[in-house]
Amino acid sequence: MNQSLFLFASIADAPIAVRASEVEAVVRLGDIVPVPLAPAHVRGLAALRSRVLTVIDMEARIFGKSGLGDDASLAIIANIAAHSHGFLVDSVSDICRAPADAQPVHGRIDPAWAPFVSGLVEYDGRSHLLVTLADFAAAGERAA
Amino acid sequence: MDEILGEFIAETLETLETLSGEVVAWEADPADQSRLDAFFRFFHTVKGSCGFLHLPRFERLAHHAEDVLTAVRRGERQADPATVSAVLAVMDRIGALARALASDEPLPESDDDSLLDMLLVGGDERGLAPNADVAADAAPTADAAPTAASPPRASDAGPIIGRATAPPAGEALPDPAGSGRAGERAPRTIRLPLTLVDQLMNGISDMVLARNDLARRMRERAMDADLESSFERLSANVADLRDMISKTRMQRVDRLYAALPRMVRDLAQELGKQAKLALDGGEVEMDREMIEMVLDPLTHIVRNALDHGIETPAARRAAGKPETGALHVVARQSGNQIVIEVRDDGAGLDCAALVEKAIATGLVTPADAALMSEADKLDLVFHAGLSTAAQVTSVSGRGVGMDVVRTNIEQIGGIISILSTPGSGTTIAMRVPLTLTIIPGLIVHSGRHVFAMPRSNVVELLHQNSAMVSIETVGGARIATIRGERHAFIDLEDVLHLGREKMAGGPRTLMVIRSPAGQPYVLGVQAVESHEELVIRPAAPVIAASGAFAGMTLPDNGRPMLLLDAAGLAQIARLPLRETDGWQRTAAPHAEAVPEPTMQALMFRERDGAHRLIPLAVVDRVEDIAAGQIAPCGAGAFARLEDRLVPALNAGPPDAPRLKSLRLHAGEEQLCYLIDDVVDIIDVPLTLDVGLASGRLAGLVMVGEQQLEMLDPFALFAEARAQGPASRPAEPIRCLIPDGEDVWMRTILAPLLMQAGHEVRFGPPDADHAADVILCSETAPEEAPPPAGCGATPVITLGDDAQAAESPDTVYRYDRDRIFAAIARVAPPRDHATRDVA
Repeated sequence: MNQSLFLFASIADAPIAVRASEVEAVVRLGDIVPVPLAPAHVRGLAALRSRVLTVIDMEARIFGKSGLGDDASLAIIANIAAHSHGFLVDSVSDICRAPADAQPVHGRIDPAWAPFVSGLVEYDGRSHLLVTLADFAAAGERAA
Repeated sequence: MDEILGEFIAETLETLETLSGEVVAWEADPADQSRLDAFFRFFHTVKGSCGFLHLPRFERLAHHAEDVLTAVRRGERQADPATVSAVLAVMDRIGALARALASDEPLPESDDDSLLDMLLVGGDERGLAPNADVAADAAPTADAAPTAASPPRASDAGPIIGRATAPPAGEALPDPAGSGRAGERAPRTIRLPLTLVDQLMNGISDMVLARNDLARRMRERAMDADLESSFERLSANVADLRDMISKTRMQRVDRLYAALPRMVRDLAQELGKQAKLALDGGEVEMDREMIEMVLDPLTHIVRNALDHGIETPAARRAAGKPETGALHVVARQSGNQIVIEVRDDGAGLDCAALVEKAIATGLVTPADAALMSEADKLDLVFHAGLSTAAQVTSVSGRGVGMDVVRTNIEQIGGIISILSTPGSGTTIAMRVPLTLTIIPGLIVHSGRHVFAMPRSNVVELLHQNSAMVSIETVGGARIATIRGERHAFIDLEDVLHLGREKMAGGPRTLMVIRSPAGQPYVLGVQAVESHEELVIRPAAPVIAASGAFAGMTLPDNGRPMLLLDAAGLAQIARLPLRETDGWQRTAAPHAEAVPEPTMQALMFRERDGAHRLIPLAVVDRVEDIAAGQIAPCGAGAFARLEDRLVPALNAGPPDAPRLKSLRLHAGEEQLCYLIDDVVDIIDVPLTLDVGLASGRLAGLVMVGEQQLEMLDPFALFAEARAQGPASRPAEPIRCLIPDGEDVWMRTILAPLLMQAGHEVRFGPPDADHAADVILCSETAPEEAPPPAGCGATPVITLGDDAQAAESPDTVYRYDRDRIFAAIARVAPPRDHATRDVA
């Protein structure tokens, strides 16, 4: 069975899995500078050494509003379309090998989640929603 | 020609260098189509350029290699090792020839034919090559036969030449020595992947941030000097390193030029014209990205010049010009801008046709057109949909017009301008910033938000409560009138939906913004803080989508900052675009703006600390005077300078033992203007930006980013005159005291008069010694009345009784002021100082 690395994290109390190939690092961000006129899910800009990250609030992207506090700072760093992004998450649990082929989603998931979830990844006895970070970085129709 | 040749050599060697990496790969997999294509393109380019440059030897080599590769591409021939080797040998030979050419050595005499034979042998082996027994005697013609009609074929194709024997020509190559020498002539270079350079740049930026952080921490603690000095050294090194790394982004403008000779040649042929291209300034360096951005506009302009500018040979002959048109491309650095000019000596732009077309398309009305200057008319060429091309040619006039060129140039913060003389040619100048990624910017505050605005977009800064600005609201639109010019006025917070944080804080700062796509407008911000060099990176699409931001930057404080997009803000605020009334804009300076006439002005600090200006022409000198030299007198004051009294303005109570004074002069008149200190001498416009003419002030002048009040010398002298007549020691009042025996007169009054600078004479008046005034004592003996000889000379009688001295000509003898006033009054028109300053 094909195995591949996944990063397991959680947003909005839901366990998610992200392909490790997408992930560059997980860091705690410093100050986040808000960006005017940007969609609600764009938290702002943060500096990571000499790079400037666009910080994405995944929860706001999914539900239109964020449950994260202003002090949320744990972020998955990824390079999407040549721009560095930081994706805020509640927590990160592990990086592990899991079967590469995601299971189809059984049961009906929240319609808000549906556009972002491509399958389920089993890990540690739990199902994790498999998401693609690039989907969150795009300018969404939920733009404020 | 030499330049083009140099270009060709550089290009060839560069391509060879790139291809050399592919060679091995090709050998491993000769069927690889993309590599084959790369080699084919190389030979094709060499062949093309050689024909043009008249390098038959190159041409012949390239031509045959190309033939072979064509056959391979068509599948008529296998890319077997022999063929590959032969092709590579030809490549090597071309490289050797190019290096020889570059080092100005005679081309190495070597047997090209053997190489070509090898090429053909490869084919023979497969039996697919053309019959080989033609022109077996085609001697090694080399350079002697430029267009070798029949390529030398080898009838006696020997044994199969394998890789081992592939470079038989190698022995003839001047390789190690030759290339070594070439290396000394040209600067040695290596090729690096761009990503590596970018990583290096990022690494340095990290280092700068770390250094700043360290510096901050060190400031917080008490540091010992040793540590501090090593840190200083490190800090300087980091700064140097950053400068050096940023230089790696620079490239020579040569790269822009590389494609031009070929293009001009081909185009000229296609159009049946003759043109000679001259390229200058290829050594100027500019940012790599900038070169990419300028390439298309430049190509377009050159195409245009050839297509529309330069006439056909027949037309040129008729106009008395040489048949070959001259096309000159020059690049030069001007400050932190690069100017690239394209000049042709063609027909010039047809202004009348442009205007006609503009009227026809409804862009301007005939009435507007009549008012437009020549330059404005020429500028019409940059409007969409206007082309003077009578007909669309295959070359230009296909809709990609000068408007696109202008947009492209302005997008990168550049300016394009055009100058055209009918009959003798057109010059188009592009001014672009040296680099895209490092720009000077102003830091703008809006509440807790901080943004950067490119300095190039900012025309001027004003304070909202400046006298020059008035803001009104008309039908919902806010209009700021600055020095008589109306601008749309928007607040940054409104455009960015930041709420009304602006209500807090003092007066706001107004920025007059020139945006590439619209009219100048006024942007209100809370404060403009400082000026910084900013390294700009592109913003992520999700942020760029709003259109308000042109990029982002990370200043040294480590807090990311967004770069405002001047045009984008105008668009979001729905300000009118330039296209509607572009030629009416006056504020945007043209690239070749005529400098305003200026005059020199002295900038000084008033005693109250304010900075003011005064025309330098009226300042005679700046001098230090002691506080004691100044004596107040009523509302005014006088300064004792040398032997005379000069009205002093701004006297006030002295706050220092010595004061600085500006001695102003207007012909005979002088006055002292007391100041705190002199600041500078600057050039200011001859006409004031705002005429104020109130009190001592003539108006306001813009100096850099501040406005200064200009003193009005006229008002100053008028004030000084009102304060009291300026002294004229050359013409003292001649006082006559007829009764020389009067002790009071002689011992009390006379010295007083003399101290005040008057002449005093005793004795009876006579015609030889005219007097201005006669002073008599009331109690004077009857026998000494004012004698008849004095004629109309006024007489002042000094009385003993303060109460009785009421008649106009009688003054109480101890009322000094009135005595002097009476003398001054009755002795016109001579002026005199009436005060004793002792």
